[in-house]
Amino acid sequence: MFVLLRQLARIRREAGLGRGRPRSVALRHVDAGSCNGCEHELALATTPFHDVQRFGLDVVASPRHADVLLVTGAVTTRMESALRTAYEAMPEPRLVAALGDCALGCGLLGDRARLAGRLEEVLPVDIRIPGCPPAPDAIAEHLLAGLDALGPGATGGRAATARR
Amino acid sequence: MNRVDVTAGRWREAVQARLAAGERFAGAWATGEPVRSWRAAFAVPDGGIAILACAPEAGRVPSIVDLAPAADWDEREAHDLHGLDFDGHAPIRALAGHPEDAAAWTTPVEGEGVHQVAVGPIHAGVIESGHFRFHLVGERILALDPRLFYKHRGLERAAEGRDARAALGHVQRACAACAVANTVAYAMAVEDALGIVPDPALRRARTLLLELERLYNHLNDVGAICAGVGFAPGAMAFAALKDRAQRLNAQIAGHRFLFGSVAAGAGVSAIGAAAGGGARERLRDLRADAAAAWRDLEFTASMQARLDGVGVLTFEDALRLGAVGPAARAAGVRSDVRAHSPRLAYAGFVAADPPAPSGDVAARLQMRAVELMATFDLLEVLLDRPLAAGACRPGAEPGPLGAAIVESPRGATLAAVELDSGRVVRLRLRTGSYANWPALAHATAGNLLPDFPLINKSFELCYACVDR
Repeated sequence: MFVLLRQLARIRREAGLGRGRPRSVALRHVDAGSCNGCEHELALATTPFHDVQRFGLDVVASPRHADVLLVTGAVTTRMESALRTAYEAMPEPRLVAALGDCALGCGLLGDRARLAGRLEEVLPVDIRIPGCPPAPDAIAEHLLAGLDALGPGATGGRAATARR
Repeated sequence: MNRVDVTAGRWREAVQARLAAGERFAGAWATGEPVRSWRAAFAVPDGGIAILACAPEAGRVPSIVDLAPAADWDEREAHDLHGLDFDGHAPIRALAGHPEDAAAWTTPVEGEGVHQVAVGPIHAGVIESGHFRFHLVGERILALDPRLFYKHRGLERAAEGRDARAALGHVQRACAACAVANTVAYAMAVEDALGIVPDPALRRARTLLLELERLYNHLNDVGAICAGVGFAPGAMAFAALKDRAQRLNAQIAGHRFLFGSVAAGAGVSAIGAAAGGGARERLRDLRADAAAAWRDLEFTASMQARLDGVGVLTFEDALRLGAVGPAARAAGVRSDVRAHSPRLAYAGFVAADPPAPSGDVAARLQMRAVELMATFDLLEVLLDRPLAAGACRPGAEPGPLGAAIVESPRGATLAAVELDSGRVVRLRLRTGSYANWPALAHATAGNLLPDFPLINKSFELCYACVDR
């Protein structure tokens, strides 16, 4: 297998293929207590209709492969530790994006005894995506704007100017 | 709403009489702290709701799980969240509570080669949070214990003490995909308690919203089954169709999930005056494209080959476990709340027949396709003249308790509300997903673990409105 991978790297180099867009960003989603609206819209954002992949954004299965943790929902007491575990599993540098008004702590509804507090009180939030829920195109727009504002170093990308 | 109070000693007898009369158990909830009353709702075949209540004796009431297995989750939830004990429900496994000890909430499954696989609460895809504990031999699933309530936000409790009209916001927040069904059920329950009834314009407007919600959900759910099989072209085609349906929602009601359109005791807000003609044209285009995409699926042999005989829910099990909605109808249970909803505009509605009531993934997929076309038909009629917001008017006796059942995209959803001077004393939302999770877990047993995503997607149940 490793022989094959070395050959693959050589073939790619000789063919002049790069290692992908320098600012491609891997997203890991965690539902910390949402109404499922943000999940519906995020899932649509990755279908060909909206195709956020064309901006170098894609959802990955594991936090170990992720640059950005996309968190939805009011953080429930039941999800708090799983959320922290997912964050701890990410390689550094890592970013947290609050997806939707609940994650931003706006107009939260629920029993205080069942909520751990706003996402910001649990993890450092770098990118804010407002909306209830934000539409698929708004998710892409706010993510890209947030990443642009943070600069290329924020996700460990090589020095390249961020261009959409 | 009529409520019949019985003593705890006669609770089982009273429940048995209801069930013997052909009534369906529709949900149960505890009221008061400490609990002063345990109540159960029954759906009467002609569309009415009957409510039984009994006062616990020393914090205990007799269990009815042997009479109505559908009450299993209701009793476990009341035990965990309200401290009520049930005589005869033993062991009573944790449902809403999350004890550390796995033995406190899992089914004991033992034997040579039996092992467990734990999945979640965070999943690999963009999915809601919840945990599944599979008991397996090899890849064969012997039993599944779903552990939900990771998303429990205490919305029902948070609604207590609030003005009944304002508390609709809590119901809407419970679940985006069932927001209309849940809020219409809640609004009708509040109106039932206040003794007011919606006028024909409001009935029509709410019915339109309910069917718009069903449209985008069924398109989503057909695509979800494609995703469960791993058939990307189908998943992507139906995701795009769903997006178009949601754009139509935004055009007609100003929101992709129809948020903010339903109010309790008042007309529907934000129905676009210009929705009429343009919306019908777009719906017809959408219908033609959905029909074409469905034909493509029917002729995709590699996909169809994965559906037959997988995740079977038998007719007997669907009845016994109280399954509802397309999942129950795909098993041959001819029950659709829309057929008897006098407070909505479903005159003449007849529940759709499944093409083949085999109760498997194939039947659930076919059922959604049939209902999808029925929904297009309903929308065509509902949009044939201009819509008005409508209003409520006095029409019945007010009382402290109100209840209503509405057919959500996932099945019968009960909302029950207890009011005192216009404020919520207790709210209970028992959605179609809540009713169907035990049926899904049951249908999973005997299948292979890699088939679970497919079986799960064929039910496509919410976590959000179960956890609340």
